[in-house]
Amino acid sequence: MNNGFIINLIPGETFLHKLSGTTKVRLFFVLIIYLIMSFDIRLILPVFVAGLLGLFSLKTDVAALRYIIVFVVAMNILNIVLYYLANPHLGELYFGQETLWFQFTDHYIVTYEEVWFLMSRLLKMLATFLVSLVFILSITPSEMAAGLYNCGIPYKICTVVELAFRYIPDIYRDYQNIKVSMQARGVELDSRKAGVIKRLKQTILILIPLIITSFDRVGDISNAMDLRGFGKGRKRSYYSEHEATADDQKVKIVYLLIAVFDVLYIAAKIIYKIPEVWYPW
Amino acid sequence: MSRKPVIEFKDFNFRYKTQTQATLHDISLTIYEGEKVLLLGASGCGKSTLAHCVNGLIPFSFNGEMTGSLKVAGEETRELSLFQMSGHIGTVLQDSDAQFVGLSVGEDIAYALENDNMPRSEMLPKVYNSAKIVDMHRFLEQVPYNLSGGQKQRVALAGIMHDDVKLLLFDEPLAALDPMMGNFAIELIDRIHQDYGKTILIIEHRFEDVLHRSVDRVVLMDDGRIVADTTPQELLLGSMLWEYSIREPLYISALKQAGCSLQMAKDITDVRTMDLSPYEQQVRTDFEQTAVLEPKEPGEVLIEAENVGFGYEQGRPVLSDVNFKIRRGERIAVVGKNGAGKSTIAKLLCGIIRPTEGQIRFKGEDYTALSIREIGEQLGYVMQNPNQMIVKDMISEEIGLGLSLRDRPQDEIEKSVGEVLKMCNLYEMRHWPVSALSYGQKKRVTIASILVMNPDVIILDEPTAGQDYRVYTEIMTFLEQLNAEFGKTILFITHDMHLAIEYTDRALVFSEGTCIGDDAVFKILSDEDIIQRAHLKETSVFTLAKRLGLPADEFTEHFIKAERRKRSA
Repeated sequence: MNNGFIINLIPGETFLHKLSGTTKVRLFFVLIIYLIMSFDIRLILPVFVAGLLGLFSLKTDVAALRYIIVFVVAMNILNIVLYYLANPHLGELYFGQETLWFQFTDHYIVTYEEVWFLMSRLLKMLATFLVSLVFILSITPSEMAAGLYNCGIPYKICTVVELAFRYIPDIYRDYQNIKVSMQARGVELDSRKAGVIKRLKQTILILIPLIITSFDRVGDISNAMDLRGFGKGRKRSYYSEHEATADDQKVKIVYLLIAVFDVLYIAAKIIYKIPEVWYPW
Repeated sequence: MSRKPVIEFKDFNFRYKTQTQATLHDISLTIYEGEKVLLLGASGCGKSTLAHCVNGLIPFSFNGEMTGSLKVAGEETRELSLFQMSGHIGTVLQDSDAQFVGLSVGEDIAYALENDNMPRSEMLPKVYNSAKIVDMHRFLEQVPYNLSGGQKQRVALAGIMHDDVKLLLFDEPLAALDPMMGNFAIELIDRIHQDYGKTILIIEHRFEDVLHRSVDRVVLMDDGRIVADTTPQELLLGSMLWEYSIREPLYISALKQAGCSLQMAKDITDVRTMDLSPYEQQVRTDFEQTAVLEPKEPGEVLIEAENVGFGYEQGRPVLSDVNFKIRRGERIAVVGKNGAGKSTIAKLLCGIIRPTEGQIRFKGEDYTALSIREIGEQLGYVMQNPNQMIVKDMISEEIGLGLSLRDRPQDEIEKSVGEVLKMCNLYEMRHWPVSALSYGQKKRVTIASILVMNPDVIILDEPTAGQDYRVYTEIMTFLEQLNAEFGKTILFITHDMHLAIEYTDRALVFSEGTCIGDDAVFKILSDEDIIQRAHLKETSVFTLAKRLGLPADEFTEHFIKAERRKRSA
C-alpha cells in the first residue's frame, strides 16, 4: 500500500530526515518566503543548488520521481514559452532597455534582457519546486502536523492534515474494490470501448458507494478519537516530534539567519525601491 | 465479601433522540472489580447501546433521554465528562482499522498521552511498556497498512493500557479476525485479566469463541432488556441460547444431537477439559448408526485452473501453481489467512486481473478472450459489505443495473428482474427504497443484482461477516436454496469455519500464495499441518471426537449430516 505514494510514513535515515518536524517546517517556510520575495539570480541560484544537494542527500529512489519531475519541468518550460509569446518585450518593461539578439518576425524579437528575465523566472520556479519536493520527501505527515502545531497553528487543523494521509490509502483500497465489483456488473471503463461522457457517468456509479462507506467510517474514527481524549485541552504534545538534536540547533541558526535576511530584504525593497528583477548590465 | 462495583446500572432506560421507542429498558446490572463478564446478544438487542452508555459515547456523542441511574466507579455518569469517563473505561472498538488513527504503531499507542499533553520524554517509556504487554514492542515503527487485523487490535488495546483504567470494554473483538487470531485475542484478553487484575467486559455474539477462555458471568440481552445474568454453564444447559438466536457451541450441539442429556453437576464449558464419561456410551452408540448418504452426482466442470500464477511485478509472484476444478452445483469454501491469495484468486476468476502463468478455463475454453463484462455473465462476485455495491435508490433499479448497463431492451430487463425478485423473495418489496432494508435484505438485493445476469457461478466474499446467528441463518438458508433449487455453483471466501462445515461440500485452502488443500471440509479440518499454515482452528466437534477416540473426520461428517437432515426436515 505504501508504494505508489511519494509520501513517507516511516522517518528516513539521512540528515534532513532526522531533523525534527518543527525544524523542517520552519526551514521550509523561510525558504519559500525567500524565494517569493527575490527575483535576483544571485539569491536564487544558491537555494537551487542547495535544493539539488538536498534532494540527492535524501537518497530517494529518483526513478519513482521521474514522472513528477518531468511533468513539472515541462509545465514550467511551457509557462516560459507562453510568457514569451504573450509579451516579447518584457526586457523593456522591467529593465527599460532592449538589446537585440535575433528575431523571428517583426514582433517576436529575442533580446538578451528578455532571455535573462525568463531564465530568472524559470530558475525561481524550479527552485521553489525543488524546495517543496525535498520538504515533502523528508517529512512524514505526523512530523508535519507536529511542526505546524509548533508554528502556532491550532492542533485541530494539524490533525486534519495527518488524518487525511492516514485514511487516503484506505479510501483508495475501497475505491479499487468497488471498481472491481462494478466492472464485473458491466461498468465499462476501457477507453477503447466507451466514450468519455459514458465513462464519466459510470464513474459516478463507483463514487456513490465509496462516499457512503467513507461517511460510515468517519463516525467510527471520530468515536475512536473522542474515546481517547482528543480535544481535551488546548495544548497537545506529539509522539513523532523528537527533542531538538545538535543538528536541529545548527539548522535553527541557519533558518533564523534566513528569516532575518527575509525581513531586512523586504524592508529594503520597500524603502530603497530595489528593482524587481536584478540585471547586471 | 465486599466487592467494589465498577459499573452500576439501576432501573436504567435510554431512548435515542431520533427514535420514538426506548432502546434500553429497565437495565439493572452491576459489574464488580476484577470480574470478567460477557455481554451476549443478537444484533439489535441493545448491547452496543449499553456499551456506549458505559464508555460515555452516550450521551456525549449520541443524544438521547436517560432515566434511572448509571454509576461508573461510584460516580453518576451524567455528571462526568467523556474525558473523565475515559479515565475509568478503556474501549477497544470493533473496527480495528478505523480506530487506528496514528500513522505508526507507536504514535497510535501514544494517542491518548498526546491528547493529555504529556511531554514526549515521559511518553516514550510508557508507550514501550504498553506495547510490550500486547507483544507489539518490536513493531513501534510499523505503519498501519502493513499490520494484520489482529495486530491492529492489539495496538488499540495497548493504547488504553497506560492509564489506570478500571474496566476494559471490548466491542465485538472477534468480528474482523481469522479463527486462529480470534483465539489469540481471547487468550490475550484473559492474560490481561489475570496478570493486571483489570475488569473486563466483552460484547460478542460468538459464544463458543469467547468461551475459549473462561468467563465469570454472562449477561444475555434481547430487545433492550437483560433476560439472563448467569454463568456460562447454566446458559449451555438451558434453551435460552436458541430462544435468543445465539449459536450454541458445536460440541454441545453434537452431544445433544447424539441424545445425551447434559448434567448440571459437572462443568461443561470447555470441551478440552470437561468430564465426558457420562456421555461416552451414548455418543458411540449414536455414531455407529450412521446413515450413509448418497453422494451427489458430480456435475460438469465449469471452471478449471491449471498451474495458475500471478504477480504484479516480474519475479515476485503473489500466487503460483494453483490447480483446481469447480463443478456445476458445488458449494466450495475458499479459506486461508489474510494475504494468502484468496482475494487474488477471486479477482483472477472475475477477470479483473489475468494469470501471468497457466490458464483458467470456463467450460473447457480459455477465458483470455473474454472481457470482464462477458465473464460477469458467467460468474458473479458479491462483495462483503453490501453498502459498497448498492448505487440505486430503488430495489428493482438496483437489481436491473447490470442489464441496463448492457443496454438490454426494457421489457427484457423487467422480465428478468421480476424473475430474480421472485427467486430471492424480494418481489413484495420491489418498489421499496433500498435504505429501508435490513442488513440481511440488503445482502439479498446485492446477490439478486448479480443473479440477474444469470451466472452459473457466484463468488461471495464473507457473506455473513459480523452478523448474528439469526441473520447468518437467513442468508445461508437463502444461498442453500439457490444452490439446491436453481443449481447455482457457489464459492464462499470465508474465515468462518462453522459456515464451511455446515454449508459447503469442499474447501480450497490457500496459504503463502498457493493452494495447499482441496478436499472435503471435515478432512481439511482434521489435518494439523493445514490448520496451522492456513490460520484455521480445530473445531470443538473435532476435539470431542478425538477425546472419545473416534475418527474425527467421520464423526464431524456424521454430525453435519444429521444437522443438515434436521434443517431440511
